[in-house]
Amino acid sequence: MNIDSELDLWRRQWQSETAVPLDLRRKVKRQSRFMKIVLLADILVTIGIGGGAIAWAVRSPQPDILLLAVVTWLFISAAWAFSFTVNRGAWSAAALDTAAFLDVSIRRCRGRLAAVRFGAGLFLCEIAFCLGWIHHHAPHHRTPLLPWLLFSSLFIDIVWLCTLAFFAFLFWYRRKKRAELAWLLGLQGQSEPRA
Amino acid sequence: MGTDAAFLDVGSSKLLDRVTLERQFDGLLAAHGPALTRLAASYTNTRSDRDDLLQEIALAIWQALPRFRGDCSERTFLFRIAHNRAIAYLARFRSQPPTVEEMEVRDPALDPESGLAREQTAERLRTAVHRLPVAWRQVVTLTLEGLGYGEIAEVLGISQSNVGARLTRARQILRESLEDPK
Repeated sequence: MNIDSELDLWRRQWQSETAVPLDLRRKVKRQSRFMKIVLLADILVTIGIGGGAIAWAVRSPQPDILLLAVVTWLFISAAWAFSFTVNRGAWSAAALDTAAFLDVSIRRCRGRLAAVRFGAGLFLCEIAFCLGWIHHHAPHHRTPLLPWLLFSSLFIDIVWLCTLAFFAFLFWYRRKKRAELAWLLGLQGQSEPRA
Repeated sequence: MGTDAAFLDVGSSKLLDRVTLERQFDGLLAAHGPALTRLAASYTNTRSDRDDLLQEIALAIWQALPRFRGDCSERTFLFRIAHNRAIAYLARFRSQPPTVEEMEVRDPALDPESGLAREQTAERLRTAVHRLPVAWRQVVTLTLEGLGYGEIAEVLGISQSNVGARLTRARQILRESLEDPK
């Protein structure tokens, strides 16, 4: 078979499948709305927690409450600063082609892996500070710290369960991202260097 | 009053932009929907995965459309977005080549008498394309959609000579695969 007629035949066979799913446009609009809601939720969480801490400090301006507000904003600032640093140059591809997209995907993947480490560290700092602060302010704060931390109340149980769930999630996410990165690097290796 | 009029002007111009954008989006999907569907199918194993990927592609097109300035052809613009979304999708799910049972992404033949054999050969081609390594699959799917070397190079960000080299090798593998399907 002639080489071009072979390609023509394949083209005809390939293009014989034409089914387009129905309601695609409606789904796109729904997904687009959902993404805006998620972005809004992120901003609201920051404002809610940070704003709540400030409001409490303004209403009861005692040193402990002020300390809580300051540390809360330190944590929030650290998270945003890290996010801006890690996402620098990863917001969009340098060009529109697939090679550039692959570059930016690899950068994003490395950023997510760094975020896992940073998130774990930040979470531990937050838990240590918050539990210390709550223990200091609990009515029975003369109870020694260690027994208090080890299943002394439903609240503490919930904190440890959430911590466990959070670290299990981080572990799973890290494995997923590492596999994704290995796949992307392999794919990049198949491509030639950009001219 | 003047401010209100200016506000209304801005509002109606935004509305007009959106209507134009929606018309453009609908037009693109109508013209290239089948090609994008085939492309999505070549990266996925099941119909529902294909529809999910197609939805992601359509969303990415919807988001990128306001920035489209006509510095490349519509087709190049669409296929760039589609291939990039497909790469991101594969990176997330690292879809494996399908088994014969999994290859359910196809149209039922309209005419069972004459359509069955044709559908089977088309099915074999789709399976063979699906089994190619991603870098070659991209070049093959774009070629089968009728893009030239220049356009493919532009979509993928590689040189035309690389497009040619990948296509030659991919065609050889496809030929072998079609002659001896396993």
